[in-house]
Amino acid sequence: MSVLARSVGNAFRNKVRTAAVVAVLAVAIGLALAMLVANQAVGAKVQELNASVGTVLTVNPAGGQGFEGGGEPLTAEQAATAAAVPNVSAVVGTQSLRLRNATEAAAQAAAGTAGGPGGGQGGPGGQSSATLTTSLTAAVDAGTLGGRNQAANGTTGTAGTTPPARSLPITATGIGAEVDTTGKALAITEGTGLGDYTAESTSALLGTTLAEKNSLTVGSTFTINDQAYTVAGLFDAGTAFGNNAVYVTLPTAQTLAGLPGELSSMIVTVDSLENVASTKTALEGALGPDNADVTQGQNLETALGSLGSVKNISLIAFIAALGTAGLIILLIMVMLVRERRREIGVLKAIGAPNRTIGLQFVLEALVLAALGSAAGAAIASFASGGIASALISTNSTSTTAAPTTGRGAAMAGAAGGAGLPGGGAGFPGGQGGPFGGAAQLVTSVTASASPGVIAAGIGAVFGVAIIGALVPALLTARIRPIEVLRGE
Amino acid sequence: MIEVKNLVRTFNSGDRTIKPVNDVSFELEQGTLASIVGKSGSGKSTLLSLLGALDKPTSGDVVVNGVSLAGMPDAKLTEYRRRDIGFVFQQFNLIPNLSAVDNVMLPMEFAGIRKAVRLQRAKDLLVQVQLDPEKHDRRTNRLSGGEQQRVAIARALANEPQLILADEPTGNLDEQTGDHIIELLSSLSRNHNTTILVVTHDRALANKTDRRFRLQQGKLTEEPASRPVVAASA
Repeated sequence: MSVLARSVGNAFRNKVRTAAVVAVLAVAIGLALAMLVANQAVGAKVQELNASVGTVLTVNPAGGQGFEGGGEPLTAEQAATAAAVPNVSAVVGTQSLRLRNATEAAAQAAAGTAGGPGGGQGGPGGQSSATLTTSLTAAVDAGTLGGRNQAANGTTGTAGTTPPARSLPITATGIGAEVDTTGKALAITEGTGLGDYTAESTSALLGTTLAEKNSLTVGSTFTINDQAYTVAGLFDAGTAFGNNAVYVTLPTAQTLAGLPGELSSMIVTVDSLENVASTKTALEGALGPDNADVTQGQNLETALGSLGSVKNISLIAFIAALGTAGLIILLIMVMLVRERRREIGVLKAIGAPNRTIGLQFVLEALVLAALGSAAGAAIASFASGGIASALISTNSTSTTAAPTTGRGAAMAGAAGGAGLPGGGAGFPGGQGGPFGGAAQLVTSVTASASPGVIAAGIGAVFGVAIIGALVPALLTARIRPIEVLRGE
Repeated sequence: MIEVKNLVRTFNSGDRTIKPVNDVSFELEQGTLASIVGKSGSGKSTLLSLLGALDKPTSGDVVVNGVSLAGMPDAKLTEYRRRDIGFVFQQFNLIPNLSAVDNVMLPMEFAGIRKAVRLQRAKDLLVQVQLDPEKHDRRTNRLSGGEQQRVAIARALANEPQLILADEPTGNLDEQTGDHIIELLSSLSRNHNTTILVVTHDRALANKTDRRFRLQQGKLTEEPASRPVVAASA
């Protein structure tokens, strides 16, 4: 019988006690693994957010306050000014357009329905955005919120006439680079981009659901204000609302809107997350607080800070649970060594080296740790999602409860992608305060017990088990074989 | 050959110094079956632990085949116990959750003997000590006292030691089983040419050994032999 086999056998000498020890270990190890999974999930989310919008600032015209917004539009000159601010690595201008299906618009006009969704108002930050006709049919129904907004902002139509089914307007955005309205690179799934985004072009990028709804593929054509445009590529924004959109080059959109040189917003990318706050202040100074509102993408600073806290808490909890598991193993093994002093003495008397006896106890501890890890991994696989959700929801609650200040609050929600392409969010204030979008992103953290993370966690458990077992194993070296005979 | 030279072991108990082993000297030829008798507390087990390198003498030396144990480091003493000594205890001291075969294989495992070899040798030894083969794979805590002592003797023989030290080997056994154990030890000393030193307070048992020593107040004296001393064979 080998040392390992003997250790396994010893681990099951007292089955009731072994079961109790394994149960306690399983709870500690399960908690440790769940915390590790949560830590990894939050870490990945923080990384993802940092990589996407963490360094993006959005500049909107000052005074945009929903339907009652005012102020002056942004200009190409202001974009140049923003680009000259230290630590700014890129400035992308956008021009927003609102597209209505030409047939639907004509039918509504004939039925006496005045005004489109939002009454033609309510672009980003409350600016007006040009409403144009198109051959495209929206891929997304207005839904309850859309219908309610249209009813509120439009008219009820002819009395006694059932209002026609409404669809959301299609958002068209002129962009100065191949990014979406959050500054994130467009995920083009078919075809190509638009090439030079600073020149007029008759090419466009369509969201996948919009293309599918209209049976368009790369190379197909459609019209905006009777002008034919060719589908250069399809993109996937990840949501049905996000894919109910069209991108054209910035000059094209400015021409279509009849607003050459004007911008709806600017997406400013800062060179690093550390410089975001200082660059935001510098931008506000350069553009003038009465001319432009500068908001951090998704106002993620607070959210990221909270996520960082969750990450730290989960790391500390992981270490604490791991330490607890190690302590349990240490105490159990000390107890076993004391209980088996005579047996250890016998083994020494018949010639067992100290290292063999020590190894036997370490292996026995590892057997207990392995059993505890198996049960703990099962516990973690069930509990990690709930624990992570509990941590994140607490975090997002505190995040959404944060005070919202400053002008353009409604737009702040749109700046992170919840506005222009978002369903029901194209209307000012559709997503609430600036933390609405951030909270959504934060709460979308997925804690999945990946084999790699579980393996790393169990590796740590085994490391702690070895450390925990080493002390009692070393204690065995101090037991003298003479103690066997003394008991005779 | 075992040579014990002026062996002394003292313990301090408060202000008093106790000498359970006081200037003990004797020699044992290879293959001798010897006994040490004495009352409880006379120092028999202390002397046995010194011979078996379980304890270190205050002074004096034990020389086994010309090799002195005095000053030998712990690791070497462990090796000495593993290679040259076999212990048989009154309480048997078997590992209860291991089978008889596994218990006998333990010293061989510590000596680095291959599993197949040690398994075969363990079975052979258990046959030699007349343990029912059906009980070879039985856990030792399910064996009778006599059976456990047979397993303990087989374990003591596992690494073919030069010296077997038996501390009250029949102390926990009935008279008949005790006689069987003594016969077994006697035959082993002859067949294996193993020196066996038995510590006992049982006079009848001592009378069956080649040489008899009496330990009294730490002093060892030899009593007349009751049976011919077996000469060491080549």
